[in-house]
Amino acid sequence: MTVGDLEVEAALGPEQLRTRLRASRLYVVTDDLTPLEKLPDLVQAAVAGGADLVQLRRKREPWAELVELARSLQEICRRGGGIFLVNDHVDLALAAQADGVHLGQGDVAVQEARERLGDRPLIGLSTHTPDQALKAQLLPLDYIAAGPVRATPTKPDSVEVGFQQVTAAALVSRVPVVAIGGLDEGASAIEAGADLVAVVRAVCAAPDPRLAASKLRQEAAAATPWRWIRLNGEPRKSPPGETVLELLARLGVEPAGVAVEVDGRIVPRERLAAELVSEGSALEVVHFVGGG
Amino acid sequence: MEEGDRLHLGSATLRSRLIHGTGKFPSAELLAQAIAASEAEMITLAVRRLHLDGDRRSELEGLDLSRYHLLPNTAGARSAEEAIRLAHLARAAGLSDFIKVEVVGHEATLLPDPLATFEATSRLVAEGYTVLPYTSDDVALALRLAEAGAAAVMPGAAPIGSTLGVLNPHNIRLIIQECPVPVIVDAGLGSPSDALRVMEWGAAGVLVNTGIARAKDPVGMARAFAAAVEVGRLAHRAGLAGESGEARHGYGASSPTAGLPVG
Repeated sequence: MTVGDLEVEAALGPEQLRTRLRASRLYVVTDDLTPLEKLPDLVQAAVAGGADLVQLRRKREPWAELVELARSLQEICRRGGGIFLVNDHVDLALAAQADGVHLGQGDVAVQEARERLGDRPLIGLSTHTPDQALKAQLLPLDYIAAGPVRATPTKPDSVEVGFQQVTAAALVSRVPVVAIGGLDEGASAIEAGADLVAVVRAVCAAPDPRLAASKLRQEAAAATPWRWIRLNGEPRKSPPGETVLELLARLGVEPAGVAVEVDGRIVPRERLAAELVSEGSALEVVHFVGGG
Repeated sequence: MEEGDRLHLGSATLRSRLIHGTGKFPSAELLAQAIAASEAEMITLAVRRLHLDGDRRSELEGLDLSRYHLLPNTAGARSAEEAIRLAHLARAAGLSDFIKVEVVGHEATLLPDPLATFEATSRLVAEGYTVLPYTSDDVALALRLAEAGAAAVMPGAAPIGSTLGVLNPHNIRLIIQECPVPVIVDAGLGSPSDALRVMEWGAAGVLVNTGIARAKDPVGMARAFAAAVEVGRLAHRAGLAGESGEARHGYGASSPTAGLPVG
């Protein structure tokens, strides 16, 4: 649509927003050091460079200023084809009609946020342990973040959890996994199982944020991602080269008692070790239950 | 049980003519005990997705499936294609070619879809399965299923889970009389007397699930059904007096009419 003399992309619907999330690789989170008035230019540069998602992460500014800023950042992202989220504040997301909100473990409950936001906005949740990542799967959210991968001045009190936490989250997640924490290149996190790489300083403190975003986006896009599959009707992830037998083993499934179907085709037990899991495959793992 | 009286279904030879369902039991322990008490040799199973998170315990965990002839069903199928897919999964899970074709055509009553049942039966027979279709009490359809290669036909006495007993005795008897393959009465048998009656008529066997599983004492009821099936079979083999040529029509005293010390 056209507003004044600007070509403005219409806000995406709930499904389009999630489709775009699934194609996203780079997530830029604003830092604490950049002055508020510089953030629009920074976000503009990040989106132009290739940031798919942008999160406004400010905790102390006056409410009115934050609302105004969030509205303008949302507009910049919309025009540039990016997704805009705010940190912590459901109220701010509502006031700015933001594409979503990112919540921490200590923030407002995901269920409550969903009820207040409705179906459209994305909800993301920080997770720091495999158990948190697993429990998050029961919540009405759209992605989980796993980290901090490395110690970071952004969160001085938190303990670094390494790429192991990214991989642990990827092994259980039904929703995209965002790797975060001290990352300065794009490939390692994707190879560890993340769908997106989130950065703060690597873009916000870069001499040329647009170039930094562009480089990170290219690195992330060039890495070999884990496959998305449907397993018994639910989205799941599988690392490159994984066989169906390996997938069953890590789920603790004994092949003797089950039948496996891949894309409508039965895979005989003796072939499970040779059957590679491939992108977009639909796997069904069934067993006998009581019946008449 | 008379020596040598066996039910042959595909590659299976069964001494017990009670096929035992495994659904809806209060616990895995009671299911295992009920099957043991019934001395059934063939049990039915359903095929479902494995729960990949959390509790994976199954109601079948108390059973050694290798000790039984397994008759997986296609319950849940709403079309021939779905039934065939479930049959393929069942074969892969159990490595047995037996399949109870069950295609629901009417949600409220779970009554079978005759066209889809026939199609799935024909196609699975062609694929080499030993097919036992659950069907309605329609005589012509039962004959068509037998023609299509069903190893047995399984007309329902009453809707699945209803325990209403034999709703259309005339049709069930006709199917038993006319069908060239074994007739196993399935679904709706609520009490051992229902099972006894159809066995007396010459049914080759019965399949019972809810009638046992939902009894106050499932183990005791499994034993009662097994006894009823055996009595019904004995009675059928002995030939009911009411069905012999002599006694079919009219009335007759059991005691001699001559020699009464009166008059």
